[in-house]
Amino acid sequence: MQLVHNLRFTPFTFCRRLSATPSLAARCCSSPPSPTIAAKPLFLRPPHHPSTLSDLRQWYSWAYLLSTSVGSSFLLSDGGPDSSLLLRELRWLLEDVLDTSSGIHPHLVTHPDDDSHRKVWLRAEIGDLYRLWRQRIEERKPFQYVVGCEHWRDLVLWVREGVLIPRPETEMIVDLARDAVGKNPFLRDGLWADLGTGSGAIAIGVSRLVLGDGGKVFATDLSPVALEVASYNVCRYGLEDAIELRKGSWFEPLRDVQGKLAGVVSNPPYIPTDDMLGLQAEVGRHEPGLALDGGVDGTDDLLHLCHGASSFLQPGGFFAFETNGEKHCQFLMEYLAREFKGSFRSVDVVSDFSGIPRFVIGFRC
Amino acid sequence: MEVTGVARPSCCLYLSPGPHRPRLGRGSVLLPLAVPVNPSYDPPLARISSSSRRPPSTSAVHSVPDNQLRGSDSAEWAMQDFYSLRREVEVISGRVEEIRVAAGLQQLEKELMDLEAKASDTAFWDNRAQAQQTLSSLTDAKDKLRLLNEFKAQAEEAETVVALTEEMESIDASLLQEASGIIKDLNKALDRFELTELLSGPYDKESAVITISAGAGGTDAQDWADILLRMYVRWGEKQRYKVRVVEKSAGEEAGIKSATLEMEGRYAYGYISGEKGTHRIVRQSPFNAKGLRQTSFSGVEVMPLLPEDSLDVEIPEEDLDISFSRAGGKGGQNVNKVETAVRITHIPTGVTVRCTEERSQLQNKIKALSRLKAKLLVIAEEQRASEIKQIRGDAVKAEWGQQIRNYVFHPYKLVKDVRTGHETSDINSVMDGELEPFIKAYLKYKYSAVMSGNNDLS
Repeated sequence: MQLVHNLRFTPFTFCRRLSATPSLAARCCSSPPSPTIAAKPLFLRPPHHPSTLSDLRQWYSWAYLLSTSVGSSFLLSDGGPDSSLLLRELRWLLEDVLDTSSGIHPHLVTHPDDDSHRKVWLRAEIGDLYRLWRQRIEERKPFQYVVGCEHWRDLVLWVREGVLIPRPETEMIVDLARDAVGKNPFLRDGLWADLGTGSGAIAIGVSRLVLGDGGKVFATDLSPVALEVASYNVCRYGLEDAIELRKGSWFEPLRDVQGKLAGVVSNPPYIPTDDMLGLQAEVGRHEPGLALDGGVDGTDDLLHLCHGASSFLQPGGFFAFETNGEKHCQFLMEYLAREFKGSFRSVDVVSDFSGIPRFVIGFRC
Repeated sequence: MEVTGVARPSCCLYLSPGPHRPRLGRGSVLLPLAVPVNPSYDPPLARISSSSRRPPSTSAVHSVPDNQLRGSDSAEWAMQDFYSLRREVEVISGRVEEIRVAAGLQQLEKELMDLEAKASDTAFWDNRAQAQQTLSSLTDAKDKLRLLNEFKAQAEEAETVVALTEEMESIDASLLQEASGIIKDLNKALDRFELTELLSGPYDKESAVITISAGAGGTDAQDWADILLRMYVRWGEKQRYKVRVVEKSAGEEAGIKSATLEMEGRYAYGYISGEKGTHRIVRQSPFNAKGLRQTSFSGVEVMPLLPEDSLDVEIPEEDLDISFSRAGGKGGQNVNKVETAVRITHIPTGVTVRCTEERSQLQNKIKALSRLKAKLLVIAEEQRASEIKQIRGDAVKAEWGQQIRNYVFHPYKLVKDVRTGHETSDINSVMDGELEPFIKAYLKYKYSAVMSGNNDLS
């Protein structure tokens, strides 16, 4: 179980991990902080803000009350989080903001006893904490933007406004890729593409878990913000040599490797335009429409990806796409069978953890 | 209070620090020293020779001037007292001998030699984890051996005093008090040693994971679960374990639906494992305007926090029912919720664990699986099953849900353990984490049950 803990990156373990590969460590850890330092994940910022345990408790009590006042109202209005989920987030915010090296741990804050005069060191000013939690509740700003990170698989990824927050459902794409490589080991050292990479989650997951030393992932995105975030995350995991970021729409920046890709994976925008208005506030109001809106029936980009896969994959190459659910999966299955007769084999639908048909996978013949 | 570094129970349940008991520093040995090393403690033999010549007293052991003691020599130490002291010395020498045999002294010496040979191997540090483990066993064995030898040395000192007094014509009061003190301390140390022996289960040394869940009954039960959580946090802090509340799910009005605590430190599991079961409270409900008497229940589960490499249990995929909390609705991009809880049921035994505290689904799944394995290993050990397959699921439910303790706040105050019969009316101290007497009583109860079980078998 200790191992599990270690997977969650603290700045310390991260640096140690990097130093295992000296060349990368030199590039990532010792380089002077980049200008985007303020935008880094909260938990990686230096704990330079002094406060007292009693002030922190006061903030926590305030935030606690604000969260409980929500009750089920968000849930009923748009399927948003209820109080108990908000309280879980609040606890995580506390974990991220509090420097525990001085012996002050979150439960000292949440279990008021004595010692209230004790000094604590925070990674943000206490005033900012009030602002952040107000944004969370009043503006429905996604928790991941509030703390600047998303825990996804065994990764902790920087995310910020303008980049889609990777979802737990999407974690499975990495497993699907691993299964495909397990059955077809030659794919392990091939060229892969993560199209519309956003934070770089899938590319990093595939690169770390699936590919061998000879393998490489091209991660493309149209959005400069996404590329900045993905670049930071790739660097943080020391994968600059294994993942190449390219700017552009879908396959466009990959013309030089047409017909040579061993794998294509993507979580493209797939929400039908009409559904965009009724989305949970955290999603609809804050996450980038570019990463969500999939056109009239949500399949615009999925169809584009299918076409691209037929010409960009090498024979035997694998693809996996995330979709909006059963309707999309069925539609794509039929479309692939009809339009690309003989181009693909072993095309299949895979359900996510909730049992919703979510992914379409297959191999190029 | 969380303590970083080696979390060792500074004063365990069995230890009531004497006036001159040294405080063991952080990172010190596992077992407390047998007898306090008082800096001003004169070696008895030196004192014997000096006191027989009656020099001016330089002893700092007693604050009372020597001449005052002298005056009451014969009054305080009549021959009768000497005989009873001699008897005590005989008894304690016998006890020391018994304990040395029972602890497997010879076996221990051999073990120590083996471990030392291992540690001096050139390839020792190739496997870091294993090396650490060997070193830790080595320290344990050394400490235990040293302790057993100290017991013997102390007993011999007391014997010497008796022998010398018999040779001498008169009785030296300070000398006899010295011997009496040795016997008292030695008895305490032997008690402590025995209790540590009670914690010799395969997982007793490990850290512990404690899960508290409110029983049916709404706010009252949820409040009760919260009180228990506080009780265990306080207990753990007193033991100087590193205590972390890793998950807490708040109740609607007050209290908690459930909470998970991790207690890191040596022997945490051994001590706390006896707390698993159902805890019942009887009180006037604080949530009821009429203040009616209310009975509520909360369940406590305790599992060892086992290192990943010790969980070498293969569980077939088809034996596992893994379910994830569903965000609801269309899922995927449509939803953004931090709901990543994972629940795993081991189908053949019905043993279930849930993990919600991690922030990604994969992490929750890994942790839940680890906990499931730990739980199955513990159950297998309890049922003396050699493998998971042999676990009787029906028995698990009965054993893990057994009511173990009653906490009555009203109409009278009483905490009573159903199994051991141990009870106290000082309910506030118990709620403040004073669990030592209960834990001690349970460990002894368990030990004697095992012993009599063994006798039945043989």
